[in-house]
Amino acid sequence: MTEPPLRTVGRPDRRIDAGEKVSGRAVYTTDIDLPGMLHAKVLRSPHGHARIRSIDASAARAMPGVHAVLTRDETAAIPMPVYGYFIKDQPVVATDKVRYEGDIVAAVAAGDEGAANRALAAIRVEYEPLPAVTDIERASDPDAPELFEEPPIGIVPAYGQGASGELRPRRNVCYRFSYETGPADAFAECDRVFEDVFHFSRMHHLHLEPFVCVADWSREDRIELWSSCQNPFPVRKEIARIFGIPENRIAVRVPYIGGGFGSKNGCKTEPVALALSRLAGRPVRFCLTLEEGFLTNTQHAAILKVKTGVMADGTLVARESEILLDSGAYSDGSPLVAEKAGYRIPGPYRYRHIKTDCYCVMTNTAPAGPFRGFGGTQTSWACESQIDMIAHRLGIDPYEMRRKNLIGLGEPFVPGESGMDSDLREGLDLVVRELGYRRRDELVNDGPVRRGMGLAIGFKDGGGVNKPALARVKVSTGGDIFLQCGTAEIGQGAHTALAAVVAERLGADRSRVRYMPVDTDHSPFDQGTNASSAVSVMGQAVDRAALAARRQILDFAAEKLDCPADELDLADWEIRRGNEAHPLAPMVMGHFGGAGWEFVGEGFHKAENSHAAPLEAPCVFWEIGWGGAQVAVDTETGQVTVEKLFVTGDAGRAIHPLVCRGQDEGAALMGLSQALFERMIYDGSRLVNGDALTYRAPLADDLPADFRSVTQEQGHGPGPFGAKGMGEGGMLPVASAIANAIYDAVGVRIAELPLTPERVLAGLAAKDGG
Amino acid sequence: MPERLDPRFDLSFILNGAPVGMATTTATTLADLLRERRDGRGTRLACERAVCGACTVLVDDVPRASCSMFAFEVEGRNVQTVEGLSDGGELSPVQAAFADNSAFQCGYCTAGMILLTEALLTRDPDPDDATVRDWIGSNICRCTGYSLILEAVRDAARRKREATP
Repeated sequence: MTEPPLRTVGRPDRRIDAGEKVSGRAVYTTDIDLPGMLHAKVLRSPHGHARIRSIDASAARAMPGVHAVLTRDETAAIPMPVYGYFIKDQPVVATDKVRYEGDIVAAVAAGDEGAANRALAAIRVEYEPLPAVTDIERASDPDAPELFEEPPIGIVPAYGQGASGELRPRRNVCYRFSYETGPADAFAECDRVFEDVFHFSRMHHLHLEPFVCVADWSREDRIELWSSCQNPFPVRKEIARIFGIPENRIAVRVPYIGGGFGSKNGCKTEPVALALSRLAGRPVRFCLTLEEGFLTNTQHAAILKVKTGVMADGTLVARESEILLDSGAYSDGSPLVAEKAGYRIPGPYRYRHIKTDCYCVMTNTAPAGPFRGFGGTQTSWACESQIDMIAHRLGIDPYEMRRKNLIGLGEPFVPGESGMDSDLREGLDLVVRELGYRRRDELVNDGPVRRGMGLAIGFKDGGGVNKPALARVKVSTGGDIFLQCGTAEIGQGAHTALAAVVAERLGADRSRVRYMPVDTDHSPFDQGTNASSAVSVMGQAVDRAALAARRQILDFAAEKLDCPADELDLADWEIRRGNEAHPLAPMVMGHFGGAGWEFVGEGFHKAENSHAAPLEAPCVFWEIGWGGAQVAVDTETGQVTVEKLFVTGDAGRAIHPLVCRGQDEGAALMGLSQALFERMIYDGSRLVNGDALTYRAPLADDLPADFRSVTQEQGHGPGPFGAKGMGEGGMLPVASAIANAIYDAVGVRIAELPLTPERVLAGLAAKDGG
Repeated sequence: MPERLDPRFDLSFILNGAPVGMATTTATTLADLLRERRDGRGTRLACERAVCGACTVLVDDVPRASCSMFAFEVEGRNVQTVEGLSDGGELSPVQAAFADNSAFQCGYCTAGMILLTEALLTRDPDPDDATVRDWIGSNICRCTGYSLILEAVRDAARRKREATP
């Protein structure tokens, strides 16, 4: 039987948030304005590492317009004034030490930001500077100065087959994740073993809406918080723990979020704002500047040492890796990123033996945390560069080398894991066709300008680990639909996609669906908007909730019409039975009375726990980004021009094609930018380009002349209508595809990002000299 | 109310076609002045250094970073913000093109991008691709990868030309 045509899913209708966003009416946390609201600003450490001898805030406290001052003297009264995901190591304000330039030392709430800043200037802090360790190598020295002397407060989650974790395995390492499968002696059987080292740069998310919250703790027994945050329920839990307040006294509300890319996970501005609000007895708005954003959360720089054993015909056999992530001064989400980096380093290939150790190295720099790709960007950079290098060393075309080793459709990634849900070869062949890769010998070189092409396949497990999802769909007497779930709209289009799923299941126009505000007092529990999980995980709960509501409506109508429910269909708030149409509103009021009724469906989803799976539950879906680039390298200047960039993801089923396209293209441009120029530059412990002007974010002018994406719909996803998640995959292959293209053009391998003209020239000089 | 370092004075200008008078100070930026109004928060602040363009408004039809202009600079001048584009709730052709092409994601840069496009199309109703890229290249969008925005600008130009007899 053929399925009836879909009326909403797959159509590029206006996004559900289009009207509000193009008219300027959309409300973000920055727009929240409460009566009597104060404004917070913080004093930040000028030292990378120092002991605090004394803090004298008496002058600030006496200043007119100052309503509250927060220092370690005040936080001493807070039950647990530290936070973090696995490890509680970040203080609300510094207590004994500061650990990076930008660490928060004191905070002021005043009538406006100017008054708050003037008060901060009156706070006297006496520091005893300590030696700082500002990169992975220095922090890893056995004699390096130690960021944390006291034992960590933290947990290691349950892991499954082959995986393990450890808190503080050595000095200045807050977490280790390890994974091993298959016999270690597999290396002995290999014809060749290659060891290579890759360096990964560090970016800031540069979300345009700053880190911001408005906290109202003016009444002792009630906290109301509006926050630009991706995971309101975990933030509620963290606030409850920090301040010793029951969770049912705390409401966290998330309006539209002006971008995050991972950074807005976990506590950021909230603890300071709440502490000030309690002290002042007034609501407090705490909005960081964009410059302060750089000091709040970043991507992880990394060193990746990869050892790969291979047969002469290119068959991959074994891979051992050591990954060192620069986690900055506080653990934030680093242990989770370490899990993922450690898990993803094999890439989408088949091996007999895999062994990985990933370490979170603490340095006196800004805390690193979740960033689009979540460890997968780092590992795709190393993995896809090395596959190319090995292919060239063995005299095999990199395309053939990949094709030979890719995991097949349905094949588990590692023992105990779920099967691959994309045909990886299909995507690779699409890139090869779109790029014209087979005709790359025909590329023309213009004098000193040499051209080449490169391929890469980015890879990550998607949908989070062991993540539950709950959704509720309500339908009123008149057929108006309310969708309640905790997925925040951060730009990714989740509200549009999830509303489309509901509309489709209930035979309604999408305009009948309202996505209810995300509010921990009313929304069903959710762990957070992350890991490309909105459609792939929450989508399954939403789909079930809509189907449950539909089932109730049809059962109700079947009873009224005295017929089996399976004879009935639901469309446009009418019950259709053959050629008959029965409007539902009168039927509902006839039964429930004139005041009417709401049908309520709930839907739940969670992957089964499984100790056979290394991360305790099988991966929800595999997020793949295939990419290809054509570059022109000027051998006189070292300038790399990306002439063509093609990326493709597999949406499984594109619930909204333009949203999928926008996710892939936005991610790909972030990858291009990281490949060529975008990075945080540190001089010792000082960030030297932490502002919009000197931090080079990509602009429209930076787009390659030929920049395209294709959204595949292979149909194997676990989400509604066969959908998978989107949003991170498009970034993963880009840097390595460009590095591989540079090698193809000029025979220079650059193993460190970004791929600057200086590095190209140095590579050319070494090649000529060597 | 917090104490002010500088005294307030009255400022008169044309906001979205209508004369307005607002009390302000010499230190107030145009963006902060606009955002004081309940219906003025479509003008969004991001970098506050005249780099990202999120706060773009049109002053006498010229795109300006309202974060880095003093309010007093607009005395007697015409200021156009995103709130003034919709005619009785109906989206302008540029707004409609951004909506229909999904030329936004988080929406934080969107008002600035739309006003930039309005200014471009006022000057050049049929800009070529290089011109569009050049103009859009003055604002930052961190979400879209720009292609959908460039397509929306071309679509908006088409719509505006078709709407003009």
